[in-house]
Amino acid sequence: MPADPAQNDRSLADAAPASGPRRSFLAKALAFLTAGVLMTLPTAAGLAFFLDPLLRKRGASGGAVGRRDADGFLPVTPLAAIPADGRPQIFTVYDDSVDAWNKFANQPVGRVFLRRLPDGSVTAFNVRCPHLGCAVDYRPAQSDYLCPCHMSAFGLDGQKKNEIPPRDLDSLEVKVKDKSEVWVRYEVFKAGTPDRIVVSG
Amino acid sequence: MTSLIDWFDSRTGYRHLLREVLLEPVPGGARWRYVWGSTLVFTFAVQVITGLFLWTAYSPSAQTAWESVYFIQDVMSYGWLVRGIHHYSAQAMVVLMALHLIQVIVDGAYRAPREINFWLGLILMQIVFGLALTGYLLPWDQKGYYATQVSTEIMGAAPVVGPLLQQLVQGGAKYGHHTLTRFFAMHAGFLPAALMLFLVLHVYMFRRHGLTVRSPQRRPETTFWPDQVLRDAVACLGVLAVVLLCVIFKGADLSAPADPSEPYSAARPEWYFLFLFRFLKFQQVEHYGLAFGAIYVPTAILVVFVLMPLVGRWKAGHAFNVFFVFVLMAGIAGLTGLAIYEDRRNADFQLAVNEADRSGERAVQLARRPEMIPVAGAVTLLRDDPLSQGPKIFAANCSSCHRYNETDGTGRKVTVAAKESASQGSSVESRVEAPATAADLGNLGSREWIRSVLVDFKNHFAPLRNAVDKKVPEDLLDNGEMADWSETNKGMLTDPANKESLDALVELLASQSGRFAQTPEQKALVEQGRKIFETGTLAKGKLSANCVDCHSIAPAAAKKGGVKESSAPALAGYGSVDWLTRFIADPGRPENYGEHNHMPAFKNQLSARESDLLARWLAGDYYRSSAPITAAAH
Repeated sequence: MPADPAQNDRSLADAAPASGPRRSFLAKALAFLTAGVLMTLPTAAGLAFFLDPLLRKRGASGGAVGRRDADGFLPVTPLAAIPADGRPQIFTVYDDSVDAWNKFANQPVGRVFLRRLPDGSVTAFNVRCPHLGCAVDYRPAQSDYLCPCHMSAFGLDGQKKNEIPPRDLDSLEVKVKDKSEVWVRYEVFKAGTPDRIVVSG
Repeated sequence: MTSLIDWFDSRTGYRHLLREVLLEPVPGGARWRYVWGSTLVFTFAVQVITGLFLWTAYSPSAQTAWESVYFIQDVMSYGWLVRGIHHYSAQAMVVLMALHLIQVIVDGAYRAPREINFWLGLILMQIVFGLALTGYLLPWDQKGYYATQVSTEIMGAAPVVGPLLQQLVQGGAKYGHHTLTRFFAMHAGFLPAALMLFLVLHVYMFRRHGLTVRSPQRRPETTFWPDQVLRDAVACLGVLAVVLLCVIFKGADLSAPADPSEPYSAARPEWYFLFLFRFLKFQQVEHYGLAFGAIYVPTAILVVFVLMPLVGRWKAGHAFNVFFVFVLMAGIAGLTGLAIYEDRRNADFQLAVNEADRSGERAVQLARRPEMIPVAGAVTLLRDDPLSQGPKIFAANCSSCHRYNETDGTGRKVTVAAKESASQGSSVESRVEAPATAADLGNLGSREWIRSVLVDFKNHFAPLRNAVDKKVPEDLLDNGEMADWSETNKGMLTDPANKESLDALVELLASQSGRFAQTPEQKALVEQGRKIFETGTLAKGKLSANCVDCHSIAPAAAKKGGVKESSAPALAGYGSVDWLTRFIADPGRPENYGEHNHMPAFKNQLSARESDLLARWLAGDYYRSSAPITAAAH
């Protein structure tokens, strides 16, 4: 393989300048250290920059921000738009949203299923499947929710009906203002875990 | 000339290099089974070339990624070709990698002293998967967006570091600009650089140890050049031919722009990951948690591969390795086949796929308009498009009573649970089509609609008979004035002698209708129809009651004065966007159905935006391109 046999006689360890082994050790150590610093510094700077999503402090969430009220609820729909017969209906949730350098006013940020219970109260579920985050569909014929990705199934009360999802559908807090406006505390939870961990409010 | 070459060689030593590269000994003669490694290097070179050129036109951000890919694919010269080659070569690479791996294991080429090179190969495989995964997201279309989200959710389910890792690759808690910039940097920078580094090491080690020759050696030893090179080149040509055939006859597709608020029920990973997708659908697998099926099992399989060189020292070990790789491939093939088979039989999924195809084509159609794509991005094209949103709003709010061409507007039948199945437990899926209880609005305001209302009122509004409230059919059909009029005059209107009279009346009413995209009205017929409307005199006979006695229409252009009072629905602008918007808000107003109205008012249920999109869709007021989109329910 090597082209020049003369080069083959030398190895890195033997390379000793004329002035003796001690000087040689010092030179090797210093060269090693310098090279280490040279390589580490730009890499470390780059890595630290790359870690920005973990390092950067973001504006505190909660409170009346954007369209949210002081408790973090968002207006979703008039109460009248939810079927009175207990069928769930899907609604889009609008909020101001931030993406890196952009702020978008009043954007669709997600969807919820709202359903009226016989006692007149309203329940809300995030459409995001707790398995892997696809959107579940309501199936009127089966009276259930089904995820088209991996067939997670849930009852109308959000309870899981098979072993695929790790937890029930994520229910959201609801309040009805002035007996006519439905507000939902819209949150997104981490998929794939048995516990509800808030990803974003 | 020779001296010039000699001079060049003395300065560079290129002859030695060439000899080193080309005259690699191939004991036992050139063979087809040695081509797989070369085809992989070739496809990677194709990816680098096409990728760099795609880079010159791609723009990674949430408002420009889909837009720039659409532009590459649809507008720029040969963009479809370059993107197509890149798209299908990526898939070819995955297939070739599997073949290369099988060949290496079957031939025992992973055993000492080639352990490290085998491990380098496994690292290269992970890098290629990384390239495939990051590349899938870059067009920022619904398909890539939702499929990749599943991948990053799986990543987030990894123990301990999972959530941090997920945030890092996403560039935040949610998908956005930084997800794209990061995926792009990975796809076009870090991963190709790593791949090149490991590829150099891989090839260097391969050369160091030489070919693993399969005995018996059938032919005398030869050299890499030219015998094996020729075979490799022919194999690469075959790969390129398959890729080109796919590009020409299938093309790289682009679904609708990614929209986080628009669920995508047709989400599936690329076909070579379908087996993993199907694996995660087993309840027995998911019972142990997501990390088990999506992370631990694949990792365990990878560990078996890593240990293969050590296990393979023994004859039985090698036999196990070969057995393992074939069982694994059979399992992958079986699961992939099962996933495809199930999806083919799943009517809901097929509908979702059709819908996804249609909205992808619609987005492109809207982007091609002279207005082009607004700064806010292509995601607004479909959000603001009545043809895309109307059907969904109709399905959610109207389809419990109305139908649109016999469906809920989106092409799905409206169903209810069959009564008898309720007693047999919920596991039995049993649906029956739900009867409509109000009119089918598929051709509202069109000439056919008007004709049918005039001569066949009871049949036209027959769904009203299914209404739970029996007063509805009583009021509108049994005792309805218009139903009665239609029945009385049907014979006369359908008399062949009155064909032109009926046409004229229909034409007049069509001229009142605000429905879009009708063939142009015939002015002469309209005026003839206006006379009939006012006097009731047909070519043969006279109507039992004049239309004008109850209904008002917009006055002829020449006449002055407003719309006349009327006791029955006013017909001026019937079915137009304005008319529909007012009607949907409150159909019980005097100029609409007044006291004969049985439809709920939607002014508190639909937002102004939703009602506008719905009205525009029903009235046909949306962009139509001259090139028709695929045959659809619309």
